[in-house]
Amino acid sequence: MSEQSLVSDGPVLGKTDPVLRAEGLEKRFGGLVATDDASIEVERGTITGLIGPNGAGKSTLFNLVSGFYEPDAGSVSVNGVNVTGQKPHEIADQGMIRTFQTPRKPEGMTVREALLVGPHNQTGESIIPLFTSPSTVEQEERRSLEQAQQMLERFEIGDLATQPATDLSGGQMKLVELARGMMAEPDLLLLDEPVAGVNPVLADKLAGFIEELNEEGITFLIIEHDMNFIMRLADPIIVLNQGSVLVEGPPEAVRSDERVIDAYLGGPSE
Amino acid sequence: MSTLDVGAYSPREKGVVGLLGALGALLLIAVVTGFLAPAYLLYLVGLSAMYMLLSMGLNVQWGYGGMINFSVAAFFGLGAYGTALLTASGSPISGGVSPVIALFGGLALAAVLAVIIGYPTLKLRDDYLAIASLGLAEVVRIFILNESQWTAGSAGLTGIPLFFSDWPVLGDLTYPYVFYAGGTPVFNMSQSVVTSFLNVVLVTVIVAAVYLFLRRIHQSPWGRVLRTIRTDEDLAETLGKNTFAFKMQAFVIGSLIMALAGVFYSHLVLFVSPQDLQPITTFYVWVAVILGGTGSDRGAMLGGFTIVAIQQGTRFMTDTGALPIGAAPLRLMLVGLLIIFIVRLRPEGILPPERELIWPDSLGGGRDE
Repeated sequence: MSEQSLVSDGPVLGKTDPVLRAEGLEKRFGGLVATDDASIEVERGTITGLIGPNGAGKSTLFNLVSGFYEPDAGSVSVNGVNVTGQKPHEIADQGMIRTFQTPRKPEGMTVREALLVGPHNQTGESIIPLFTSPSTVEQEERRSLEQAQQMLERFEIGDLATQPATDLSGGQMKLVELARGMMAEPDLLLLDEPVAGVNPVLADKLAGFIEELNEEGITFLIIEHDMNFIMRLADPIIVLNQGSVLVEGPPEAVRSDERVIDAYLGGPSE
Repeated sequence: MSTLDVGAYSPREKGVVGLLGALGALLLIAVVTGFLAPAYLLYLVGLSAMYMLLSMGLNVQWGYGGMINFSVAAFFGLGAYGTALLTASGSPISGGVSPVIALFGGLALAAVLAVIIGYPTLKLRDDYLAIASLGLAEVVRIFILNESQWTAGSAGLTGIPLFFSDWPVLGDLTYPYVFYAGGTPVFNMSQSVVTSFLNVVLVTVIVAAVYLFLRRIHQSPWGRVLRTIRTDEDLAETLGKNTFAFKMQAFVIGSLIMALAGVFYSHLVLFVSPQDLQPITTFYVWVAVILGGTGSDRGAMLGGFTIVAIQQGTRFMTDTGALPIGAAPLRLMLVGLLIIFIVRLRPEGILPPERELIWPDSLGGGRDE
């Protein structure tokens, strides 16, 4: 970081221990350049915020690093492993779990059932062990069930365990998504607008939970439009504009940075 | 909506069981009073079981994993033709193979076709499988119809042996078969009754085995991942699940169960022809699954049974002369009405899935299914 300003022009690269590193990502949809030479690094142990005006390419960047879009150029690595062009499930296996902007409601599932999908590489996910080693499956299921209950209780929604997941409010669903993500024991959680449409009280709680999990070693990369939420939680904050990284720096400095203000005022809204 | 039932039998299931029991009693009375030939009743049981298998197979694909397969008739036909070509005396290829071995021939054919059609389409969105399978069913049927040097074409295959034909005791019973109790003959049975009875035993074993197999794989982490894929494939991917592999497994398993129904059908009717692969079979099986309750194994069985009840019940009613119109149009009309009723009154089917897909033993003792 430069001496003159706390805010770096463009991304801060060369961090000591990045969980996620994306370099020169590019994605075009026909003539539209959604992501243009975007590079970011997410340092282990941080809560990194990703902000930017509408259409800046935040969600596209999420889709690129999580494998839902294939980049036209650039590379992505998670925990030092190059995952460029891999399938979403292969990237998830490397320890990076994402959530979606609109919560995905698992129809016909109870909350705890939805949570039990989280753990990676369950023995019972293969057919043969269901018959050859049912006791292993049973033990794993018991453990996962306990873990799910603890997770729900931690997020203060323990009473919802056997409720149909479709009956939850938007805010509760966000908590369930977070809990399900945690069941996968990720190194890095990518949250796409975790407090969009969530009432302020629950948003506050959610921020508290994220801080707690962060202290326990989970790294976060969060897209959020709610400035109070993200400024309180994240450090550093990466500002995306027109498909590439405009600046990166600590929240107070980013907030008052001329370039950021210009980008937001020049954009369609905020 | 209330909490999902995780306990034993729901009131709805008890109701259905009661209804089926009453129907069974009625049929028994019909047999005892001579209104219905015993061999025919046994044939009906076999036919119902066959439809149960077909419905369970489709339920694995559509009910578990949300895969739209419009070629149920093709997988059924491959099972039927696979075993028929190997065993039938009229087979242009081989013939004379033991049905127990030929069974695997039918299954292998279906598995190969399932992988061939699944590999390119299961990586894509749901609709592509639907489109491809729609064509596949007709391709298989027309292939069988035209390549008569291998399949005997439109003439069909005759001379298919009974499934137990080369078994030590069951294969060489003499008829009429006399059943002794303590040295005195109690009753004697004609060949048709004995063979029908053996068929019913065979199919009961198959249906029970398939049901138990499915129950185990469904109420497990495997079934849970498929349920997640059904509602949201992207979600399953983000949680690190190889959705393609899961879908492929379910697709092949479903197809194998359909082929099993075909194998049984061959040895029940002892004749197969391209007529058996008409798309109407696929349509009936879809109605059965939706009627019974998509995603529920018990529902699929009930649906399969209901379809046969309509098919054969209408035939029965024309025989008694109680109907002003023919059975075929009435049958289709009844099925049509049934669909309208389901959509209007019970869009989730008669026995929709009510259980959490969690390994039953891990939920603490005593909660059996």
